[in-house]
Amino acid sequence: MALDGVRGVLYRQLTLYARRARKQVPASLVSPLLFLVAFGWGLGGGASVEGVSYLAYLVPGLVAMSSLMQSYGIAQELNISRFYFRVFDEFLIAPVAPFEIVLGEVLHGMFRGLVSAALILLAALAFGVPSAPSPLLAAALLLHTFVFAALGVAMAMLVQDHAGQAALTNFVITPMVFLGGTFFPVERLPAPLALAVSALPLPHAVRLIRDTFLGRPADPVHLLVLAVFAAGFFALALHAVRRVEA
Amino acid sequence: MSAAPPDVAVTPLLVVEGLGKSYGSVLAVRDLSFSLRAGEFVGLLGPNGAGKTTTIRMLTGLARPSAGAIRYDGRDFARAPRMAKRNIGVVHQVTNLDRDLTARENLTLHAILHGIGGRERAARVAEALRFAGLEDESDRAVRTFSGGMGRRLVVVRALLHRPKLLFLDEPTVGLDPQIRRDLWQLLLRVNQASGTAILLTTHYIEEAERLCGRVLILDRGGLVAEGAPETLKRTVGRFVVETVRDDRIENSFHETRGDAVARLGSCTATCKVREATLEDVFLKLTGRRIERGA
Repeated sequence: MALDGVRGVLYRQLTLYARRARKQVPASLVSPLLFLVAFGWGLGGGASVEGVSYLAYLVPGLVAMSSLMQSYGIAQELNISRFYFRVFDEFLIAPVAPFEIVLGEVLHGMFRGLVSAALILLAALAFGVPSAPSPLLAAALLLHTFVFAALGVAMAMLVQDHAGQAALTNFVITPMVFLGGTFFPVERLPAPLALAVSALPLPHAVRLIRDTFLGRPADPVHLLVLAVFAAGFFALALHAVRRVEA
Repeated sequence: MSAAPPDVAVTPLLVVEGLGKSYGSVLAVRDLSFSLRAGEFVGLLGPNGAGKTTTIRMLTGLARPSAGAIRYDGRDFARAPRMAKRNIGVVHQVTNLDRDLTARENLTLHAILHGIGGRERAARVAEALRFAGLEDESDRAVRTFSGGMGRRLVVVRALLHRPKLLFLDEPTVGLDPQIRRDLWQLLLRVNQASGTAILLTTHYIEEAERLCGRVLILDRGGLVAEGAPETLKRTVGRFVVETVRDDRIENSFHETRGDAVARLGSCTATCKVREATLEDVFLKLTGRRIERGA
């Protein structure tokens, strides 16, 4: 399999990324660094959660949040290029399989998420939170960014306009980011809400990332749940691209 | 209905049979059948909303037909889309270039998607830029291009993988007359120099008459006439006498210039003789005009 579609998508996205990175990468770091200062130093200074300092608890949460925003964030650009500039037609009329287009876009989303995760881990060092780069943490981040990049591709292909995209972000993504274990343990939520949040993929990703970041044993259940989401979102994205009438 | 036995030597590039597309209760294209041979320059002529764009989108895999079959080189398009997509190039009505990429990068992307790599890729991209007259602008972001430059770039991009058949959907809409003529020259060169077959949609009479060896006239989603422009015009009479009455124009059609001039002699109002156009053919068939405000 030549995978020309994967290479084409990545060529386009990485060329654009290289051109925009100088502006986009620093901009993507502003809000996680503010959270680190405001919550980690200010609000949570001296506090400890689950037996570690709040700052050490918060850093993996911010890594998960920021990489989610970057990986899922490809949806908006995909949407604009599809509806407004019709650039996506170029992929649809090329002799490549829908699978290749989806895989290429997902890899691009993963790349964006992993860059931001790496930068926050570096920034955390400056805040005195050491992280031992472990293969388990890398694996957790790969799976996490895959899940949300695939969700981003699926949404960009399924929604019919920008408003639909914005609604999903406001009603699902943002609450999930705030309540999904990034800033505090999900168990502190009222039981019904905690249960609802646990049905979303992020809490499982955060647990995996935090456990591997802190060197604690990771629960394979979270791995399994995340793998199911990964497969589901990828299949959904594939289905959406197959039936899209651009 | 019985089909003629297939002759392998002259299998048409494209055969369309009973093609239809409905959106809900709206029938955009109905029972469209035609075929296209290698090297032909065919026009799909009709007013806005006749179903031209929908037809092109179905033929290029961007819309799913509700009925009928599309065959490229005798193979069913729905079953073997990748094979067909290698042999077709598409220029959409909207210039769908990546505005933040340069001309060279837009072409490179197309080459990658078609599996053209290495030295061959660089050579074809350079050749395409030269053919489009964009060598000096090759490393500028496309967002800085004029409409005409963008159109030339999408045409050479669609040709980069050397398709046997090029589709163009209203390629000159919104272009200045001079740029339109430049693009016509480019298309004629493509058709004649490399033998690339072209299927072009247009609602400009002059465009269809100047470029196309054969015209399919489409109205309200259906084919109403098909043939060479000259042949079609002969069906209405080659010469027209226009008589202006109040604010209406009445046409009478005549076989020869002599007949028309004789008719002119008996004219009491303001009259003039002109040659028939495809607009007259359309008007006679449908009672309406193709070009808005014409």
